[in-house]
Amino acid sequence: MKLKILVVDDEPQIRRQLEIALAGYGYDVVWATNGDEAIRKTAQLSPDLIVLDISLGSEPDGIEVCRSLREWSKIPVIMLSVHGEDQTKIKALQIGADDYVTKPFNVQELEARIQAVLRRTSTEAAANPKAEVRVGDLYIDLANRIVRVAGEEIHLTPTEYNLLRVLATHPGKVLTHRAILNAVWGPEYGEMDQYVRVFVNQLRKKLRENPARDVRYILNEPGVGYRFVNIT
Amino acid sequence: MRLKALRPYGLSLVIVMAMTMGLWLLRDFLTLANFTTLFLFAVLVIAIWQGIGPALVSAFVSFVSINFFLVRPLYTLIVADPRDLLDLVVFLVVAVVGGQLAAQAQRQAADARQRAFEQEILYRLTRDLNQSMTAGEVHTILTDTLWRDLSARQVQILPEAGGSIEGSEAVHYVLLQVGETVYGTLCTAFLEPLSAGQQQLLNACASQAAMALHRIELNERALRTHQLEQADRLKTAILRAVSHDLRTPITVIKTSASNLRQLLQQLSPDQQLEIAATIENEADILNDLVGNLLDLSRLQAGAVQLNRAANSLEELAGDAAARVWQRTGQERVRLVFPEDLPLVEFDYGLALQALSNLVENALRYEAPDSAIELRGEIGGDEARLAVINHGPNLTPEERARITEPFFHGKQGKTGLGLAIAKGIVEAHHGRLQIDDTPGGGVTFVIVLPFNRKEEAQHEAQNPGGG
Repeated sequence: MKLKILVVDDEPQIRRQLEIALAGYGYDVVWATNGDEAIRKTAQLSPDLIVLDISLGSEPDGIEVCRSLREWSKIPVIMLSVHGEDQTKIKALQIGADDYVTKPFNVQELEARIQAVLRRTSTEAAANPKAEVRVGDLYIDLANRIVRVAGEEIHLTPTEYNLLRVLATHPGKVLTHRAILNAVWGPEYGEMDQYVRVFVNQLRKKLRENPARDVRYILNEPGVGYRFVNIT
Repeated sequence: MRLKALRPYGLSLVIVMAMTMGLWLLRDFLTLANFTTLFLFAVLVIAIWQGIGPALVSAFVSFVSINFFLVRPLYTLIVADPRDLLDLVVFLVVAVVGGQLAAQAQRQAADARQRAFEQEILYRLTRDLNQSMTAGEVHTILTDTLWRDLSARQVQILPEAGGSIEGSEAVHYVLLQVGETVYGTLCTAFLEPLSAGQQQLLNACASQAAMALHRIELNERALRTHQLEQADRLKTAILRAVSHDLRTPITVIKTSASNLRQLLQQLSPDQQLEIAATIENEADILNDLVGNLLDLSRLQAGAVQLNRAANSLEELAGDAAARVWQRTGQERVRLVFPEDLPLVEFDYGLALQALSNLVENALRYEAPDSAIELRGEIGGDEARLAVINHGPNLTPEERARITEPFFHGKQGKTGLGLAIAKGIVEAHHGRLQIDDTPGGGVTFVIVLPFNRKEEAQHEAQNPGGG
């Protein structure tokens, strides 16, 4: 059965192009032009995923729509945002959006994000999450807390390991600095975001990342947080 | 007031009487020549000390006293010896003339002292005013001078012409005025009415202050004009860009799309793909350019909100290097960072944009088989991130102007990238330094202010389980 995607955007041209593109990738596309319609159609049609523009040109905006959706629905939401609105992106993630894509975007990129979000939501629901992670030269045995790079075992401090675990168990998902801090150090560390940066730096060296050749496991989302590479 | 004015006269009378009494006791031992000489001395002293009026009075009183008490026959105004009469008359003339001259010399000396004092005040005031940068400073300097040097009881500077000051003391109003422009009214209150000289000094102080206010206003106007000129140059550059740099991709997109629409049947699938790729590519160029224009105008208007946080320069450089790999599929960036480079405060998103622009520019002039270098270091209270290229050097003129929008140099056009990088670095209170690379090439250095803080090397207390 085809997966159903609700596209919410106030620009008819963008809606039309997304409809063509996503239909081309084999999705069933429905659309809404404003926030109220988006909420109504979500309830009526129960789509599998929503692509939601942050600025809808009228009240409620994308952030408001996402917030009210999250009161009764866990349906995956990908927000469309504009370059430079880092704080809006962080806010969208905090109120429960699953990911965002910055306009103007490549449709291929959007499709990859849709795939990743759908895969994540289905595995999260499953009772037994994967016990190991493999990506490039990196191997993580979550059950036995073993990390190897190119077959060689790497020694990590407990904090470094927990940081890696939190990131690697959410492949492809953006985690804000604050969310990582809460998960690894605990909520009492409040605003010490710089711990996250220092430890990510250390961790990257131990994982032998080489950014000049784009060998990276932990990706930056400038101004927002980190994203573990997508495992396909 | 009246009594006070009479005091010098009383004083001189007392002196003359005291001398008369003293000399009367010695009248048998002294001659008339002794008497006149001593009295002449007293008259000169009084002239220097108390001025011309008391000197003249004491001259006449001395003349009468000598005649009455000291010249025979005593206790009459009759003079027995005609030679004594000659002495007395000569005494009177010499005392009057001498007293006048002495008093005049004394007054001139006092005037000169007063003038020197006033000039000293004016000199100090002018010197301080020349260093003042704001109207507030001028007001403070003027007020201080009037309090300290002119003993004003109250000083107020009212912003407009006119106004008044409370109190029953002697109040003076002076306009702070240069030409037609009035910068305010100076209201001062003194304990006593000012002399003509003091009033002149007050006016001179006020006009110096007015001139300083005038100078400050002219400076501010010149600065505003300079800012407007800069904004105007940017607008001209943007207009030039709109007419050429924006239109080129639009033209390509439009031609490609209409080719697709009209010639679809005749085009091979490969050609169709190529045209679609061109449209996508040109749209990206257009998007970058519009984004750059927006960013630059926001930076120049000071409307950019910095999202400052402790960030890693190495991470930033890594991001920029990874982008180059993604775009070119080649390792054209070498990263040189010391172990444990501390975190530096900056806006990650903006800094990445600045660095990417510099990297892109450096790669454009780097030989295809060579790599540029990104080097990070901390020196004193500065963090430095160098983008090192090994291409041709810049001429001094190019170096001075290369960060201007759409600068046309010998090696081609710069567009907006470097102007934006400079704007972003300066918004962080840093600077973009341009050096020669040893052995040839250009090195751009992002220099950011750096505060050494406690290192954040904090293991979690309870590494979260599960």
